[in-house]
Amino acid sequence: MKELFVLAEHRQGELRDVTFEMLTKGMELSQKTNADLTAVLLGHNVQEFAKKLANHAKKVLIIDDARLENFNAEAYQRVLFHLISERKPSLTLVGHTAFGVDLAPSLATELNLPLATDCIDLKFEGEKLVVIRQVYGGKVNVKASLRKSDSYILTLRPATFEAQETKPQGGKIVKIASPLSEDITYKRFIEYFQPPAGEVDIATADIIVAIGRGIKDTENMLVVEKLAEALGGVLACSRPIVDKGWLPNDRQVGTSGKIVKPKLYIAIGISGQFQHISGMKNSDLIIAINKDSKAPIFRTADYGVVEDLFKVVPSLTDKILEEKH
Amino acid sequence: MNVIVCVKHVPETAEAEIAIHESRKRIKTEDLVFDINEWDDYAVEEAVLLKEKLGGSVTAITVGSEDADSTLRKCLARGADKAVRLTDKAFEGSDSYAIAKILYKIIKDLPFDLILTGAQAGDDGCAQVGVVLAELLGIPHVTMVKKVESVEGHVKVNRELEGGLEEIVEAKLPVLLAVQTGINEPRYISIMGIRKAMKKEMKVLGLKDVGLTEEEVGESGSWITVEKMFIPPVEKEAEILTGGVDEIATKIVETLRAKGLI
Amino acid sequence: MEELGAIKKLNFNVCMQCGKCTGSCPVFPKSKLNPRRLMLETAYLISPLTMHPPLNIYEKSEIWDCTTCSTCSYRCPREVEPMDVIIGLRGLLLEQGRVPSTLGDALEGVYKYGNPWGISRSKRSDWAQDLKVKYVSEGEKAELLYFVGCAAAYDSRAQEVARALVKNLNTLGIDFSILGNKETCCGNEVYSLGEKGLFEILVEKNLSLLDQYGINRILTTSPHCFNAFKNKYGKDLAVQHYTQYFADLIDKGKLKFPQRVEKVVTYQDPCFLGKHNDIYDEPRKIIESIPGIKLVELNLSRGRSVCCEGGGGRMWYDIPGERGRLAETRVKEAIDVGADILAVACPFCLLTFDDAVKTTGNEDKIQVMDIMELVAEALLSSNEQVI
Repeated sequence: MKELFVLAEHRQGELRDVTFEMLTKGMELSQKTNADLTAVLLGHNVQEFAKKLANHAKKVLIIDDARLENFNAEAYQRVLFHLISERKPSLTLVGHTAFGVDLAPSLATELNLPLATDCIDLKFEGEKLVVIRQVYGGKVNVKASLRKSDSYILTLRPATFEAQETKPQGGKIVKIASPLSEDITYKRFIEYFQPPAGEVDIATADIIVAIGRGIKDTENMLVVEKLAEALGGVLACSRPIVDKGWLPNDRQVGTSGKIVKPKLYIAIGISGQFQHISGMKNSDLIIAINKDSKAPIFRTADYGVVEDLFKVVPSLTDKILEEKH
Repeated sequence: MNVIVCVKHVPETAEAEIAIHESRKRIKTEDLVFDINEWDDYAVEEAVLLKEKLGGSVTAITVGSEDADSTLRKCLARGADKAVRLTDKAFEGSDSYAIAKILYKIIKDLPFDLILTGAQAGDDGCAQVGVVLAELLGIPHVTMVKKVESVEGHVKVNRELEGGLEEIVEAKLPVLLAVQTGINEPRYISIMGIRKAMKKEMKVLGLKDVGLTEEEVGESGSWITVEKMFIPPVEKEAEILTGGVDEIATKIVETLRAKGLI
Repeated sequence: MEELGAIKKLNFNVCMQCGKCTGSCPVFPKSKLNPRRLMLETAYLISPLTMHPPLNIYEKSEIWDCTTCSTCSYRCPREVEPMDVIIGLRGLLLEQGRVPSTLGDALEGVYKYGNPWGISRSKRSDWAQDLKVKYVSEGEKAELLYFVGCAAAYDSRAQEVARALVKNLNTLGIDFSILGNKETCCGNEVYSLGEKGLFEILVEKNLSLLDQYGINRILTTSPHCFNAFKNKYGKDLAVQHYTQYFADLIDKGKLKFPQRVEKVVTYQDPCFLGKHNDIYDEPRKIIESIPGIKLVELNLSRGRSVCCEGGGGRMWYDIPGERGRLAETRVKEAIDVGADILAVACPFCLLTFDDAVKTTGNEDKIQVMDIMELVAEALLSSNEQVI
């Protein structure tokens, strides 16, 4: 029977959520296409991971090699090239993560298999594989089809498919000898590096007031800071503010920053790219202020204000201070 | 250090309202302003910083129509020495894979130690071109680059992972690095600078010059084909608070009070 | 180093280092900006001599602190024009890309979107949507062009001034048009920031617009636009700031106020109206013509007026300082002279003072109003709004 591969992603001793999200989506697809859902696990001393994955897949292929302990696109590519050429899965799913974007395009090129990245949905229309992707920062969706092939590779956007608990699949764990014959010399993993933390930990705050690209200058930042102060909350931001150097990167909410779940999240001048949304969508109450009524943030927020933030914020601050007195 | 930077000319859409073109295969761009892709701007600045430190030259390359010349001129003004624009009717409809093939054909014959690209483009967000290009050239690549240090024959690079974590990686030259925003602070490019850059070399090459066939590029040479574009369906929508500024502020305060947040 | 050539043409070598410029500079007390020292350093910069310790002009980020209020040039006994030297130095820094990022963003915004806030061109005339205006861009001819300017076109508070001005013109039956979304930045701040290349582009664009639509007379909201058109475009354009235009109407007996405004009003002389262009009496004439208003002068007024810190690009570049903002000091002064209303005639003054009233917690003591808003109040009662 054909196989449908899901590449397990793990880091620092933990399987990453995107793995289970892909397994859930993979299960649905494998049933529709009559393929065996197969988790592919590369690593070193990862038996425990294999057992967990076996609950979610029909099969777990495990390749154990000290050279696979930490992610290295080059080592991974060599192993996967071998595995995919040999077993010809109908589809290989990889997370659209720092790990996936470093691996999938070169792997697909070497294998000469069509690839679509950052997919938020997929289905087979006959033999044709059709995906939905987002473009222009999430403002537009694209339905695209892949060049016909007997095997495809896709990277899936994290935090898009819900990981569901299923009854344990009791998947078979199959050990495969590592095809790595020589050392990886072109690219070497050295170490992980955690940038030093600042004095404020936004991940533990109950109230977060976050700013984005809509804040045009540092003076306006002060206006928002006053709102945060009035609410007894902390100031956080989306990526462009960190890129400009206006706030340190430990204030960044999103996939490349912190995942937060405060009681109140006020997003000001943030359009709502998915990288940001995935960092804050589980907040209890979300209020968004943005001039563009079509900004994607309004699809996540509970309440929205379509207005000039420079008008609304000071007035809101005043009202909150009044209320508190 | 000889550096090649691959750049893309894209519409700025972060704060613009977007409408889909009648063909449903693209967006309407008449009212949009085009500029260098934000990630690529950081890549060019990084290339110039490396040149200023280590010597060598910087060549900027793009695939695009004549409009993209303004992006190349900006690269030249930023400090690139040469620019190449690859253009041909046959290139239309190319996806990331086909674009990478076009770039590969020209870059393989150029001398370089380092290739820089943006980690992704603000329009299609594929994050593929750099990595495919590296594979075609048979050189290593590192994506999501936040910091570059050049050590004898190597680069030591910080990669951005999820959750604020970084990973330090060493790669042998020549290498391709796909840079993340925030890696540096791109300097302001004055109009005078752009005017002076007009004197620098800018080459325009087509399908035949790069040695590709029509089948290898455009839709036929691509991995993916756009079937249609549409505005994302609304699954959940925020309740929009309306009224005057005061009224809106009062409504928010009431909500916060009801939830015990103030 | 083309910019150096431009500096060389300036008259600074007659500087005798008297220090009047630094002594009168409103920013000096809160910044490292020292015009006298910069004049000396510039002299070294273009001479073969080197300073000890060696001078690195590119490191002098305080060059961006100047508001181009022109007090230094105004006070200089030898007509050195330190402000122009500072603008020249800015050009030098700009050539190297050494400009604070928010100023770089503002300049890019002007280049790409025609306004320093980088807001879409398609939103430029949103403020006028429900008002009666002619769009010259759509073939509606009028004798007078109202040039709105970026602040009044895009900033929600300053838009109220544009709206008041339009209502006033309509009430008086004056025929005028606007450029709508075709309007583009006048370039005054671009010039002040030393971005000569971009300024040239704007001059070319605006002159060709004026030519294309056969415009003969221009009226501006902002003294900054007025200054650019009058002094920097290298052409004899018939341009008036609205204070001149309305003072004229009063002189001709065409403007009379039916309503009383029982308020004590003080007035801030905008740098680009006063020190730059010697327009001191017209705004005062308008204020004093409104029945009921008592005009009181600030301690420092007319040529000695203190800048609001909104010029020279400073709208997009805030310099922190323990002494606070000049606008805050100015607001306190206005309260001290017993004013209910601090009247302004410039959108930048309006915005900086509006902020300062809030940051000093004086919302219940004083109100900032543009002269056009005062005129509107005196022209119309609340139940007969003309649009």
